[in-house]
Amino acid sequence: MELIKDILYNTDKILKDFYNWAYKLWSSFNLPFFILDIVFYLLITLAVAAFLVFNALFIIYYDRKVAAKFQVRYGPNRVGYKGILQTVADTIKLLIKEDINADKVDKIVFFLAPFLVFIPSFLVFLVIPFGKGLIPADLNIGILYVLAITGLSVLGILSAGWASNNKYSLIGGMRSAAQIISYEIPMVLVILSVLLLSGSLKMGDIINAQSSISKWFIFVQPIGFILFLIAGNAEINRAPFDLPEAESELVSGFITEYSAMKFAFFFLAEYTNLFLTSAIATTLFLGGWQGPFLPPFVWFIIKTYLVITLLMWFRWTFPRIRVDHLMEFSWKYLTPIAFVNLIATAILVKFI
Amino acid sequence: MIKYIKNIITGIISLCEGLSVTLKHVFRKPITLQYPEQKPDLQLRYRGRLVMPVDPEKNDIRCTACMICAKVCPNHSILEIEKVIEDGKPKPKAKKYIYNLGTCMFCNLCVEACPFAAIIMSDEYALANEDKEKLILELVSEKYNLTGKKLNWWKSKFKDETINKEKVQK
Amino acid sequence: MNKFPIEIEKGLTTDEYILNMGPQHPSTHGVLRVVLKMDGEVVKDAIPDVGYIHTGLEKMFENRKYEQIIPYTDRTDYLSAVNNNLAYCLAVEKLLGIEVPERAKIMRVILCELNRIMSHLLWYSAYGLDMGALTPIIYAFREREEVIDLVESMTGGRLTHNALRIGGFKYDLPKDFIYKLKNFISHFNDRIDEYEALLINNVIFVNRTKDIGVLKKEIAISYGVTGPSLRGSDISYDLRKIEPYSGYEKFEFDVCTGKNGDTLDRCKVRMNEMRQSIRILEQAIDHLKDGDIMAKVPKVIKPAPGEIYCAVEGPRGETGVYIVSDGSEKPYRIKLRSPSFSNLSVLKEIVVGYKIADLVAIMGSLDLVIPEIDR
Ligand code: SF4
Ligand code: SF4
Repeated sequence: MELIKDILYNTDKILKDFYNWAYKLWSSFNLPFFILDIVFYLLITLAVAAFLVFNALFIIYYDRKVAAKFQVRYGPNRVGYKGILQTVADTIKLLIKEDINADKVDKIVFFLAPFLVFIPSFLVFLVIPFGKGLIPADLNIGILYVLAITGLSVLGILSAGWASNNKYSLIGGMRSAAQIISYEIPMVLVILSVLLLSGSLKMGDIINAQSSISKWFIFVQPIGFILFLIAGNAEINRAPFDLPEAESELVSGFITEYSAMKFAFFFLAEYTNLFLTSAIATTLFLGGWQGPFLPPFVWFIIKTYLVITLLMWFRWTFPRIRVDHLMEFSWKYLTPIAFVNLIATAILVKFI
Repeated sequence: MIKYIKNIITGIISLCEGLSVTLKHVFRKPITLQYPEQKPDLQLRYRGRLVMPVDPEKNDIRCTACMICAKVCPNHSILEIEKVIEDGKPKPKAKKYIYNLGTCMFCNLCVEACPFAAIIMSDEYALANEDKEKLILELVSEKYNLTGKKLNWWKSKFKDETINKEKVQK
Repeated sequence: MNKFPIEIEKGLTTDEYILNMGPQHPSTHGVLRVVLKMDGEVVKDAIPDVGYIHTGLEKMFENRKYEQIIPYTDRTDYLSAVNNNLAYCLAVEKLLGIEVPERAKIMRVILCELNRIMSHLLWYSAYGLDMGALTPIIYAFREREEVIDLVESMTGGRLTHNALRIGGFKYDLPKDFIYKLKNFISHFNDRIDEYEALLINNVIFVNRTKDIGVLKKEIAISYGVTGPSLRGSDISYDLRKIEPYSGYEKFEFDVCTGKNGDTLDRCKVRMNEMRQSIRILEQAIDHLKDGDIMAKVPKVIKPAPGEIYCAVEGPRGETGVYIVSDGSEKPYRIKLRSPSFSNLSVLKEIVVGYKIADLVAIMGSLDLVIPEIDR
């Protein structure tokens, strides 16, 4: 019992002890230390990758179940207990399907695009604080790193749209580029007002600044939270902002020509991005992993899934926004409100 | 400026209305029918494929091979009706009744036309087949047994039989 | 030589291109192909290309007896089969000079209005999908299922009912039909409110449909647009009121019209029409009296030589049947007037200059049924 509790609550300490022990062991062999470091980082990467895949599998299942709840259906319930293995079966199906390359696609770009979309979302995991001290690397530019890296995924989507040599895909790619770039601005403004409160870019510091429930930034920045959700939702191209893949207009947008593994990568990236947006919202506004009774890691997951559920609720209720309204919405509504919010926060921080 | 704020507020209200509708539905019961385990409750008049049931009273089919149904079918789905031949003479009884399920459009006209209520649309609905040949059915030798509500409904049609017979003879 | 029915300017300055929408596209609702000339996302020209599922029904009719044709009329506009049946049966009855019994008339009205609700519910759910809202379809199909069950308990068919016969009905209403109908009426109005809250009143939806695809009165009339698409343009034209058939003159209901003729108006007209249908159904239950359901019809239907045109107000507009009889058992020629065909032809007038997303919205608001266009 004690041991389990120890592992749950003081994971970081145990990891550190383990590292120190390995360090000592290593020094007794007289080998260069950078190899040990590399091994350690590889282990962390593997752990994150495993988490990412299983998490995405679960989110897909969860999304379908939530959708079913909103639509008075049952959702998947045949494969495994209550359909829990449904996504696994789907993934296997995707993996063993034929990988179709259309004749006139730009082969290299077409092949690279899924990875260009997927890799940024994988890299962001570097600064996601899963629990106390459970953060792959607590960079001192944490949130800036997130913004910089997520901006990259537009490259992948654009090249997917271009390489497919399909007009629908191209329109999808263009839309996505315009959308991601214009929603970056309100998002940055909102994050800026959070940073004014926390005074640091570091994820750990942001969470420490919200040490008790009353200090959670959602209560100081309620508008900021909503703006962040909207902008974040738009960044990851999910309904009602799913214009790049708008099914009824563009067939499937930039993923029209993709099949099998490559399609699976787009799918994986989409749901990973959903998790990341929610995780960052949790970190910035909901106090991250902090909470009573339960271990930090569990709190983090609970809060993140709450935000995910909220986003799913939006997705299954609203119709899709039109492309020019999308821009209008960003520039005419979100950005000014975020600006006002930022200035108000600045005044608040300065004088109170 | 006022219009701008009004826009935002009315927008948010309408969005919240939509959200409340979906939220309400979370607490309603699912409407799905779990198909292979749970079968739908078919209506009495449901039109599945054509069958020629065995009359439980006579323990025989009721068809007299009068060909009315074949004439009335718009698609010529009733391909061939052959009479029983006893002592070299054809008897008013069907020996063979060949029906093409593939072209049938389940319109019920043949059933309505039959003066002896010899045929009826059954409750069978999973009719797909990989082989077109298998869709051509022979209904007499099938010796189909109706059950349940449909049987009673079918029996209730018998009573005009004697009148009908006279009509046909005329 | 030219693969596409549209010319694009070739040159250095142009960035126009041709986009083939369909025949396999999620929002053409069937196998309709629309050839688009696009400039970026803006539609410059749109030419619908029909005929992918032409079945030659009209030719087929010439080889069928009058009573055999009824099941085929189900298959033109399969979403409101009874309305097509009715148009055809009315035409033949007029040719024969048959007066249908009172009870059969009211029963026909009940089935027609149930069909109208079925069709509008399907339009609502499909339109939700066009707009990217994925939930309305499930809610609307829940109620549609109830309506289908009702009609099925009467006719035995779920979509292609083959409900009517020349002169009336073969079977009477089942015993519990009225009870079930009342049950349905009692909760359906609340459901319409829910649909409106979910989709039609949503700010995103309103922004996407308001002032989009404005159909002017004159254009609508000159193209022969009918049904809710016409009434959206503030023209109060409803055959049920103007040329009442099958006893519609006894019923009290409003003809729903819109103001501007934009997409939103057409949507609202349809939603309101469902409410009016409920009103008609309520009155029909009161009007329904015991009596015959079949008129005296000759055994062999052989109308005297002549021509006749009969039209009813279907969910999409004027569903007409034109029969030329040469005095034999089979019609000499039958021509169907399908509302979707005229409604589609106006597409080019109202879609040019809007975006591709609007094209989907506008096409959806015309409520096209492709088999009816191609026949
Ligand atoms: S109409 Fe009836 S009795 Fe005559 S052949 Fe057909 S099924 Fe037999
Ligand atoms: S149901 Fe219609 S199509 Fe089928 S066999 Fe009978 S008359 Fe012919």
